[in-house]
Amino acid sequence: MQGIRTIAIGFDGSSDAQGAVLWGLNFAHDNDALVVVVHAKGLLARFEPTVVNEEIEASLAHVCDEVGVARSSVRLEVVDGDACSVMLRMAQPPVSADLLVVGTRGQSAHAGHLLGSTSLELAQHSPIPVVIVPRS
Amino acid sequence: MMLIINGHLDDAGHEDVGHPERPERLRAVLRGINELHLDGDLLAVAPYSASRAELARVHDATYLDELGAYCYEGGGDLDADTYATYDSWSIAQFAAGAGLAVIKELQIRDDGVGFVAVRPPGHHASRDRAMGFCLLNNIAVAAAELTSQGERVLIVDWDVHHGNGTQSIFWDDPNVMYVSTHQWPFYPGSGAPYEIGGLDALGTTVNLPVPAGATGDVVRQALLDTATPAIEEFAPTWVLVSAGFDAHRSDPMADLALSNGDFAELAILTASFAPRPGRLALFLEGGYELGALQSSVTSSLGALLGADFASERPTHGGPGSDAVANAKEARFAALRIARDTGL
Repeated sequence: MQGIRTIAIGFDGSSDAQGAVLWGLNFAHDNDALVVVVHAKGLLARFEPTVVNEEIEASLAHVCDEVGVARSSVRLEVVDGDACSVMLRMAQPPVSADLLVVGTRGQSAHAGHLLGSTSLELAQHSPIPVVIVPRS
Repeated sequence: MMLIINGHLDDAGHEDVGHPERPERLRAVLRGINELHLDGDLLAVAPYSASRAELARVHDATYLDELGAYCYEGGGDLDADTYATYDSWSIAQFAAGAGLAVIKELQIRDDGVGFVAVRPPGHHASRDRAMGFCLLNNIAVAAAELTSQGERVLIVDWDVHHGNGTQSIFWDDPNVMYVSTHQWPFYPGSGAPYEIGGLDALGTTVNLPVPAGATGDVVRQALLDTATPAIEEFAPTWVLVSAGFDAHRSDPMADLALSNGDFAELAILTASFAPRPGRLALFLEGGYELGALQSSVTSSLGALLGADFASERPTHGGPGSDAVANAKEARFAALRIARDTGL
C-alpha cells in the first residue's frame, strides 16, 4: 500500500490488541513503514500504574516474540487520555500517522452499539484510514 | 445570602462497585453542606429531568439515542474509565436538569449562590462521546440554556483535569468563555495554553496548566495574571464553575497540592467575576477522597456565603510559577498568530 509511512497501533494488552499489533508489525514490515504502538492511560490507571505498565510491557514483548521482532525496535508511547481520543491524536503531529490499527472489542455484551466500542468510534471520527483487525 | 441546591442529593443509582466515581461522593457533599448549618438560608429546588431539546443543544441526537439505548439494555463499559448502568440514563438526565432548575431559581430570586451537586460528572463529555466518568455535560447544558436567553457565560473549571468536553462544545461560541486550571501533562491530554478557541471565538478558551505539586498560590497566580484580563474584556453576565475538588492534596486521582483553604480562595476569586449576586452557580465535577471532598465543599461554599469554614490554610511555595509565565506567553503567541494569519 503506497503512501503509508507511519502506522499507529492501539494497544491495551488484550488479546484483541495483540492481534492488532501482530497485523500491524507484519504490515509495516511489508510496506517499510514505521510503527508506533500506543497505550492510552486513562483516569483509573492512577490506581495501579505499576501493574498496568508491567502488563502492557509483558504483553507487547510477547507479541514481538511471536513476530520475531526485537522489542527494543518497537516504539511504545504511553499517552494520557481515553483510547479513542489518543488514537485520533496520533493522526496529528508529531506522530502524523497515515494509518490507525486497532483490534475489535470482542468483550462487549452490546455488539453493534457505537458506544463502548473504540474501534467503531474511531472509524467514525478518524480523518485517516483505520484498520480494525478481527479476532483470529 | 441563600444557598440554592438541587434536590435528591442522596440518589444511590449509577454505581459500579469499586469505582471511585461512586454514590458516597454525594453523601460526602451533603455532609459538607450540612456543616454550614444554613437552616433557612438553604433551599433545595425540585428535581428536574433535562428535556431532549435541552440536551440536544450540546449533544448530538445520535449520541443521546445511543446512550439511552445502551443504558436500557443494561449498560456496560463505555471506555476503560467510564461505565453506564441500567439507571444511568435517567440519573444523567436529572443531573443535567439540576443545573437548569438551580439557575431558574437564581433568576427568580436575583440573589443567592447556586450549587449543583450531581453525579455522574460532566466536563469530559463531548457532543458525541462519553469519557472520563462523564455521560452528559451538565454545565454545558446550563450554559447553553443561558446563552439561548442572550447571556454571556463564563465557565471556570478548577477540576484537576482539563474539561475537554466543555472546551470542545463551546470552541466556536463567542458567548461562552471557558477558563480551566488543571494539572499538566495529565489526563485527558488536552488543555494546552495554545488552545485558545476557534476562529469565531478566538481568545474565549483560556487554558492554565500547572505542574504536579503545584500549590494554591500558583493556581491563583495563573487565574489572576492570565485569565482575569481576558475575563474582564469578555464581561460575563453569568459565571458557572466546574467545581471539581480532586486538586486537593489528599485526592488519590491526581498530584496537585491544594488545601480546602485554597478552594475557599478560589471560590471568592471566581465570585468576583460575576456581575452581581444571583449570577454564580457551582457544579460538582471530580473529587474522590471523601474527607477532602466534604471539607472542600464546606470551605468553598462557606466562603461564598461570607463565612470562614476552611480547616486548612491556603498553600504556597509549590512548583509552577515558571510554567504559568510560559503558558501566558504561549497563549499570547497563539493569539497573535491566529489573528495575523486567520489560522
